[in-house]
Amino acid sequence: MAEHGQYLYAVARGVEPAALSAARGLHDQPLRVLEHRGLDAVLSTVDLDEFGEEGLHRNLEDLTWLEAVARGHDAVVQAVAQSGAVAPMRLATIFTSDDGVRGRLDELYEALTAALDRVEGRHEWSVKVYAPERAAEPSAAPTTAPGSGADYLRRKKAQTLEKQTAEDDALRIADTVHDTLAAQCVASRRLRPQDPRLTGHEGTMTLNGAYLVDDHLAGSFTEVATRLAEENPQSRVEVQGPWPPYSFATLEQP
Amino acid sequence: MTEVETRSEPQGQISLVDLLDRLLGTGVVLAGDVVISLAGVDLVGVRLHALITSVRAEMRADGRDR
Repeated sequence: MAEHGQYLYAVARGVEPAALSAARGLHDQPLRVLEHRGLDAVLSTVDLDEFGEEGLHRNLEDLTWLEAVARGHDAVVQAVAQSGAVAPMRLATIFTSDDGVRGRLDELYEALTAALDRVEGRHEWSVKVYAPERAAEPSAAPTTAPGSGADYLRRKKAQTLEKQTAEDDALRIADTVHDTLAAQCVASRRLRPQDPRLTGHEGTMTLNGAYLVDDHLAGSFTEVATRLAEENPQSRVEVQGPWPPYSFATLEQP
Repeated sequence: MTEVETRSEPQGQISLVDLLDRLLGTGVVLAGDVVISLAGVDLVGVRLHALITSVRAEMRADGRDR
């Protein structure tokens, strides 16, 4: 007989059962809320063959599994977020008993409360900047008339310099966009730029920024982002949101 | 050429890569009873592995068809 565990999606405050009624947990299991000291832990039952240590090691290597669990996790977090402040957990946070959940809520009570205070009435926005694919197409690349060795070296040096300048420009734009947006919001983080093999995007990602924005200031935040994009036509700027505060409900100050 | 993409669906549909960035990397670190390091999950490796697996499956399917 398979053993069961409890998958913890999020810790929240004031979860309304109505907000969760339409949502289901992983494998269509019902969601339940374990309330403890004013914190609501949103859980569903999972099979430990799948979500135990051994199962997770195997399954985390499986993109289809990973996608299904990530999407399922996100759907629950989004549903919980309808009610109010939410601190989403990392993927596959599994407990073997309700006492285990309560114990962890006790242990981290202060930090969880602080995290929920930080994200209440706010959402995460993502702003990415991409440098053009070939930032440094050499302006003059004569393929005919090889010329002297000295010419070749001069040309080579000029190309290297041009490439360097374009890269510097791209990084400077990323810094400017990030610094300007960071000044517009409550908190910000620079996540690691994503690998084009995963995203399929063109060009080098120079900024993968996450911004925690007050809901009533979201309009002016996106306006500033749009202005920054217009001021820096060399790069492509992508703005997405609002998302649950995934990058900011951390237990340490981000 | 200025390109601004602003997507703000009410439901905030997040791309898988963005989601995994957050769910594996930056989400609340609250250890459950099952302890496993997510830092070791190599997404590029997982992605390439998935691609290879699906290509192999297609090749097998093609083989059967002929």
